[in-house]
Amino acid sequence: MKNRLKVLRAERDWSQADLAERLEVSRQSVNAIETGKFDPSLPLAFKLARLFGLPIEEIFFEDSGQ
Amino acid sequence: MKCSTNNPAQRRFFVRFVWSMAAYVVLLVVAVLAFVRWHPAGALAYGLAVLPALPILAMLVVIGAYLAEEKDEFIRKMQIEMLLGGTGLTLSVVSVWGFLENFTSVRHMDLLWVYPLFWVCTGISALVVWMRYRS
Repeated sequence: MKNRLKVLRAERDWSQADLAERLEVSRQSVNAIETGKFDPSLPLAFKLARLFGLPIEEIFFEDSGQ
Repeated sequence: MKCSTNNPAQRRFFVRFVWSMAAYVVLLVVAVLAFVRWHPAGALAYGLAVLPALPILAMLVVIGAYLAEEKDEFIRKMQIEMLLGGTGLTLSVVSVWGFLENFTSVRHMDLLWVYPLFWVCTGISALVVWMRYRS
């Protein structure tokens, strides 16, 4: 899946490490999600959505949809 | 005992693994000395022979416990991929070697080498997984 994590992160001036700390995951996890190498579980996706104050579908979207 | 990671599950894994390794060394020495000095026989010999294998089994339990305790889902996925790759590679090597032993004149591989081979294969697998996910 593709996602807008990098943009959302940049809007808040957060580094990958900042986001990782807020999510309580490793920086590698944030990097892997951001680059589309790893799709997070639903609980982690919801955590991301809550953190950014957005619905999940405004953060993640299917490859074919773009 | 010092461990460089801040990940609690990895710290616990490291400590447990080191203790298992230490137990392995101690029990191996005990078993070797017992066989050299007292030449045990019967059930005692079987018990002593199996003794050094117990910490090895414990190491496998430690790996399982780590995977169950690791809260970072991406790290857990990477570790599972590394271990699966290592297991698959080990099974491939020993299966091929087994047939080579049956039909050709290659040297016999002692079963004791399978466990160290598993770690070598897991190391190779870890490198492949790391390359796949590197930043």
